[in-house]
Formats: sequence, C-alpha cells, structure tokens
Amino acid sequence: MKDTVKKWLEEKQVDMFLGYKMVHGHALPYCFQADRLDEVDDLVVSRERYSLEKMATHIAAVYPEMKIGMLARDCNQRALKVLDIWDQLKKDSVTTFNVNCCPSPLKNHGDCSYLEPSPVGPVKVELGIDNNMSVEHAEHLDQKERFAHWMYEFSKCIKCYGCRNICPVCFCKDCSLEHPELIRSGGALPTEVPLFHLVRAAHMAGRCIDCGLCEDACPMDIPLRLLYRKVGSSVSDLFGYRPGIDEGKSPFNLIGDAPTTEPRPI
Amino acid sequence: MTQKKMTFLQELLGFVGLEDRLHLAWISSAEAQKFQKVVTDFTEKIRTLGPSPLARDYQKAVSL
Repeated sequence: MKDTVKKWLEEKQVDMFLGYKMVHGHALPYCFQADRLDEVDDLVVSRERYSLEKMATHIAAVYPEMKIGMLARDCNQRALKVLDIWDQLKKDSVTTFNVNCCPSPLKNHGDCSYLEPSPVGPVKVELGIDNNMSVEHAEHLDQKERFAHWMYEFSKCIKCYGCRNICPVCFCKDCSLEHPELIRSGGALPTEVPLFHLVRAAHMAGRCIDCGLCEDACPMDIPLRLLYRKVGSSVSDLFGYRPGIDEGKSPFNLIGDAPTTEPRPI
Repeated sequence: MTQKKMTFLQELLGFVGLEDRLHLAWISSAEAQKFQKVVTDFTEKIRTLGPSPLARDYQKAVSL
C-alpha cells in the first residue's frame, strides 16, 4: 500500500493522498503530499474511520483541478458514489486505494470500528433504544413505548451538530438545521425534540449510505444509525433505490415519476 | 411520487411513535363534497387519537 501511494505521488498520478497517519498512537486523518514523501511510511489502515471524502469535497470546492487520492473502505466508496451523483465531487478527480471493510459472506476479513457492536447499559435498555436493535424489532415495539423511548433518546441531544458535520453526504450550503425559522439557530438549547432529528432523518432519504459515522460521532449515544436505517429501508421499499449502490439520481430529486414512453391509460 | 414521499414521511413518523397523524388526499377545486368528507373524516380520526403526545411536555412521556 505504502509503495503504491508513494508511486502515485511521485508520478503525479495524484496531487495529494488522504489517509490516516499514526500520531502518538492515534490514527488521524492526514493529507500526504509528494514533497513530504517519507511521511507515507506512517500511513496506516486501522479501525479508525473518518469521512475522508468530505475533506476531499471541501478541497475540490476550492481547487477543482486537484487530483485527490484517497484511502477508501466500502462506506467511503458508497459515499463517493452519492457525492458524484449529487455533483459534489466528480469521480474522475478521485483515485481510491481500496481497503477491506464491512465483513460480509464474500469477505473473510474486515477492518472497521463497527465490527463489534458495543454492549448497551441497563438504563438505556429500560428508557431508551438499544443501538444494536434491528429496524424490524424497533418497528414492532408498542406505540407508547416506541414514542417514549425515542423521545428519551432525542431529548439527550446537546445539539452539537456532530452528526451533520461528520456526515459524508451532508453538503448543503444552507442547512435546514440552522434555518432560524425552522430551528432555533446556533447552540440554543434545549434541542427542538423531535423536530431536529426528524428533519435530519427526512433529509437523509435517498442519501444516507449507512456508514454509521453519525452514531460514532454522537457524544450522547443517540441511536442515529438505527433511525437512518429505517429511512434507508423505507426508501428502498417505496422507491427501489439504495443510495451509494444503485445508479442514477435520488428519487427525491425527481418531480413526478421518471418519464416513460409507454402509453398509459388516462 | 408525492404519494410515495408522503408514505415515506408517514413511515418515518410512525417509527418514532407518531403514526396516523399525516394524511394525503387528492381533491380538485371542483370537489367540494369530497373535501368536506376528507376533512371531517380526518378530524374525527385525530379526535379519536386524542391530543398529540408532543403537545404534552415530552419530558413527562419520558418518565425519567
């Protein structure tokens, strides 16, 4: 891996390479460049994850000609696909070095912080939502219980915007979550429950690639991944569209059904 | 498409325990009776459901 990255940088195949560098025992996101080639020796693949594609999007917004190399796991690749579809980061400007992740029957090895679901304490089990719960299970809770438990989770929110800031597919310049007429701006607390989270969930429709970084980032341990998984499964059931996997624009970008030439009964 | 989008929202609201409170109907400006019927029916439905749980202080629902 290190040799390939060095070769890419030397041969100007990429102008920069986004990966992780080991700093004092922590793998931190880092931008490797040709003039500091020896640093590539510190490039690591660890369990740590960060939305490198989001950094790439920001870089490409300022330097559109920049050729960006990137360490990419499966979730990064799905995000890159969504960003390409939404015209945020053209896929021609990114070269990926693919590494293994997301274990599946096809792979016998993966490096990802999501390999082991962390156990959930008794208070959360009683009052809140188990982060490892399946969507089907969460759907079948009793209505009162479901409401109370989600409200408990949402009311913990400290409105740090961490979920939005880490999200690789959140790129709107004007974010609804900071629109003064929808949500009180800045860090005004308490958070508008459940509006804040439902607005974000609705906006994830057709975009969320289920990387789980939002939940990783959440300091209050709100089961965001479960909420957005429900969003994803609804979108997949209703529209037959899986963001990051299927080609084409999100159904939420279309007004009316996709045009067909078939004659239809009136 | 609108129908699907509304179904999506209904599912999302239902997921967090706010089901049956969103309704979509196509009513032309010429269909006054249909409008009257849809609105009455939905009002009745909401009345049987009772006030929105969000109208209460959600802290109470959370039974800390």
